[in-house]
Amino acid sequence: MVRRSVLLIKTGELKVLLRRLFVALLFLCSLLFILLSKVDNPLVSKIDGTILNIVGPVMQVVEYPARIVHRVYTYLYDISRIYIDNRELRAENKQMLILQNKVRSLEVENQLLSRLLNYIPPAEANFVSVKIIAESGDNFTHILFVYIGNEAVRKGQIVLGDESVIGRVDKVSGKYAKVILVTDINSKIPVVVERTRARGILSGDNTQMPELIFTRSTADIQEGDIIVTSGVGGMFPAGLPIGFVSLIKGNEIRVETMADISRIEYVRIVDYGLTPDEVENLNDLSEGN
Amino acid sequence: MQSTWREKWRMFWLHGIPLWTTLALMFLLSMPINSAQWGYFKPNVGLICVYYWTLKRQQIFGFFCAFIIGLLMDVYSSSPLGINILLLMLTVSVTLWLAHYFQNASFGAGWFIFCLVGFGATFFKWVMLMLYFGRIINPEEVALNYLSTALFYPLIAAINVYVQKFLPQEGLNE
Repeated sequence: MVRRSVLLIKTGELKVLLRRLFVALLFLCSLLFILLSKVDNPLVSKIDGTILNIVGPVMQVVEYPARIVHRVYTYLYDISRIYIDNRELRAENKQMLILQNKVRSLEVENQLLSRLLNYIPPAEANFVSVKIIAESGDNFTHILFVYIGNEAVRKGQIVLGDESVIGRVDKVSGKYAKVILVTDINSKIPVVVERTRARGILSGDNTQMPELIFTRSTADIQEGDIIVTSGVGGMFPAGLPIGFVSLIKGNEIRVETMADISRIEYVRIVDYGLTPDEVENLNDLSEGN
Repeated sequence: MQSTWREKWRMFWLHGIPLWTTLALMFLLSMPINSAQWGYFKPNVGLICVYYWTLKRQQIFGFFCAFIIGLLMDVYSSSPLGINILLLMLTVSVTLWLAHYFQNASFGAGWFIFCLVGFGATFFKWVMLMLYFGRIINPEEVALNYLSTALFYPLIAAINVYVQKFLPQEGLNE
């Protein structure tokens, strides 16, 4: 048997060599990707966006049976709780009626005072409701994938679940967008305590309860205090509710989000009329903070 | 000639079964389950499958498959691009080395070895992400990720054992 050789290397050995080179190249590629991600290279965003566009439709298809199973489960669960819920809702309804009257009188009072002060109300925000198609695949990140269709959604826009902030748009690619949740390690939102106006930053750390950091040690913060956006940095308008203080242990203050993120099916992406350039500038400012 | 191409095409799909199964399982487990309790359990299916198939069918499943799975994992978990690729390729390297000693190990032994490999992989990813972000990542969530991955191994492995029956015999390691 005659063994063929290319440039004095036997073909078998050449194959092994080429295979090893290929593996080394793959390792090199992975390291290169990490470095490019770190410096926020546009190539990484392009690769990310292309793959998201490919896997997006698959995620959408997979999501349908999951929704059906969930609906059946919720239906059965709701039936089992119907008596207790009914009793609780009656009691709640009584309280709501009292509150409704109070709100009405406050609204009238507010209008009168605004007129007296020549107050210019902020522009009405537009929003689009979009469907969640997938969740983050592991515990290291807290993100959602949403189907935006042909809606004009931009990076940096606020995402509301029910009536409170749950995150912001991180990436838009074709008909899909990635939403970074307030619990994610990359999320930092300037906030104030509604009752005392004490400022701080709500910082996600991949736990279910983000931490309130950079608050003054003398700040008056109690469990149950409502946390709202401060508007500092400009990315989020002021006064949007996020959650309430649920745990104070020494210097550690934990906030529970108002919206039950795990049970949301649809979210609202809010547009406050900022241009893409403005959003980009505000992103930079916020990151600089 | 036509039949040769048809045969090649068929073999391509058959040899790709481990990869297709892994991708399908990954997508299935990324479904929004809308449950606060079960939402914590997010097993690393990619890691389980890469370990399993590298141990059982290294001829048809190797570094390139791990690269593809890692790339998808990076995108759908929104991790920095490259982290999961590197993690899974290192897992392939370690598993290939382990395969010399444990290829015909029992299911229980395979699970035990996976627990060790999974621990190393999760720890590696944790350290890598902390270095990348320059922040401490809560170890509780990481531990939960590891535990759910280790606990899900028998289920995912059982699916893979079933799928393995459809693979062509020439790629068998045993």
